[in-house]
Amino acid sequence: MPPILHNFTIKSFHEGLLNKKFSALEVVQLFYKHIKDSDKNIGAYLSLNEDEAIKKAEETDLAIAKGENISFLAGAPLAIKDNILIKGLPATAGSKILENYTASYDAGVIKKLKEEKAVFLGKTNLDEFAMGSSTENSAFKITRNPHDPDRVPGGSSGGSAAAVAAHMALAALGSDTGGSIRQPAAFCGVVGLKPTYGAVSRSGLIAMASSLDQIGPITKTVEDAAVLFKAISGKDPLDATSAETDYGDEILHPDFERIKKLKVGIPKEYFAEKLQQETEAGVEEAIKKIKSLKIEFKEISLPHTKYALSTYYIIMPAEVSANLARFDGIRYSQISNLKSQVSNLQDIYLKQRGLGLGPEPKRRIILGTFVLSSGYYDAYYAKAQQVRTLIRKDFDEAWEKVDVILTPVTPTTAFKIGEKTSDPLSMYLSDIFTIPANLAGLPAISIPTSGAKYQASSNFSASSLPVGFQLIGQPFKESDILGLGQYYEKL
Amino acid sequence: MPGVINKKTLEHLAELARIELDPKEEEKLLKDLQKILDHFEELKNLDTEKIKPITEGISQKNAFRDDEESKNTNQGAGVDQFPESRDGFLKIPPVFGE
Repeated sequence: MPPILHNFTIKSFHEGLLNKKFSALEVVQLFYKHIKDSDKNIGAYLSLNEDEAIKKAEETDLAIAKGENISFLAGAPLAIKDNILIKGLPATAGSKILENYTASYDAGVIKKLKEEKAVFLGKTNLDEFAMGSSTENSAFKITRNPHDPDRVPGGSSGGSAAAVAAHMALAALGSDTGGSIRQPAAFCGVVGLKPTYGAVSRSGLIAMASSLDQIGPITKTVEDAAVLFKAISGKDPLDATSAETDYGDEILHPDFERIKKLKVGIPKEYFAEKLQQETEAGVEEAIKKIKSLKIEFKEISLPHTKYALSTYYIIMPAEVSANLARFDGIRYSQISNLKSQVSNLQDIYLKQRGLGLGPEPKRRIILGTFVLSSGYYDAYYAKAQQVRTLIRKDFDEAWEKVDVILTPVTPTTAFKIGEKTSDPLSMYLSDIFTIPANLAGLPAISIPTSGAKYQASSNFSASSLPVGFQLIGQPFKESDILGLGQYYEKL
Repeated sequence: MPGVINKKTLEHLAELARIELDPKEEEKLLKDLQKILDHFEELKNLDTEKIKPITEGISQKNAFRDDEESKNTNQGAGVDQFPESRDGFLKIPPVFGE
């Protein structure tokens, strides 16, 4: 692997461009060479965007040559999860039902990144319709964990996390509904941020669960996550659930004197069950390091934590059943060869969706249809919405005592490919620590513990799998978790 | 809590969701869904008598925009990919059969 790539962060890339150490074109070409050499063993990308990426890189080089000011993300080669629309590029959501769909408009976040002159290397693999925790549910291929090819990268943003971890992109965008940015980030040893619900536009994100979804950055450093988050956040008239946010300079330049005074809560419910030894050791080490900064820790309780999984797996499928109703096998993409056999509309829907949707989307649509159906609505969906209130209240009460909450991200390090595919419930249990932040709409970041931090080395040791720890913040206080994260990463 | 999905219920749900399932899929789904529903039983233990349900992702007042024509939308995007269309509308077989 060309030595230059794994030393890159968004920051060092930008500085290198300004100091004329290399051109954007050179770097983009290096990335494509590395992708062509390595991605056959990892499977992070579903499609590449080489011609356009080169063109955009050249535009940045031209601007630099003319002495123009360039933005911090100009020329930055990014990987984008394939459920985020880039006009003119495929957007399959990892599903056969969208196999031939070309995105017809730019997502809100893509519009913002285009204004920054960022470069899109390609679209990354994901669990089908973002449903899964291993990327094994993709209809097209699996993605392997760059740290150990027999293990999963996590999901559903496994392709994006693997691309960053394997130095096949400078940074990436993923989406997170129940942990789909944070869990793969933890498994792959990179940083993953799920913003506060509403902080980032969902326009152009193929919707999974509309009250839970958020797009967020997957990066090598917390500093890079802050840069990318600032660039993509903000109210979007095309997303009525996006919030009027006012992220000032503190996102990019944390005030460490203020950060030191933050109180960190350790919720006992997240540490009650015996964690896998490696995970426990990693998280304990992170706690120790942060304590060494003389930051105050407090034990807190989030009593309804254990009900979060059931609550999520009722509310999310219900929303999924509504959001995936649009995939009729007609208007976006069609599964060929069916036209001659079937001409009745009902049959078209039944057959296209029967053939085009994979097992996990089917499971969740059926489950969602059930919990919303007459006779069951009150016992399941209405109940879950009430429990969601209780879970949110737990956090509201915690914020009276602490500013930030620290937890593990996942119960274990990356599991083996095929290990959890036969039992859906065991797969769902991978998300127990990430789900509550989605239900409560809170910002949360996964940061690799120092032992497995993004290493400037090409030797991935199979014996030391990455471990992540999670910081959960108050609504719209990404500055707290990004600030504390940047403080930690400087240690 | 009524927590049973039998074959008849599953077939009804599949029809509502417009998804054709083969017998093998039905068998696996019945098994998987029952296991998941059993897990949900724990919510029975929670007293939610006076609790208001959350119905949105974020506490927000009405998110209105001005009642003005806007050029800044994605309206019309994707029409060129419709297999058959007329006047910008998707053309499909009759809804109520032939």
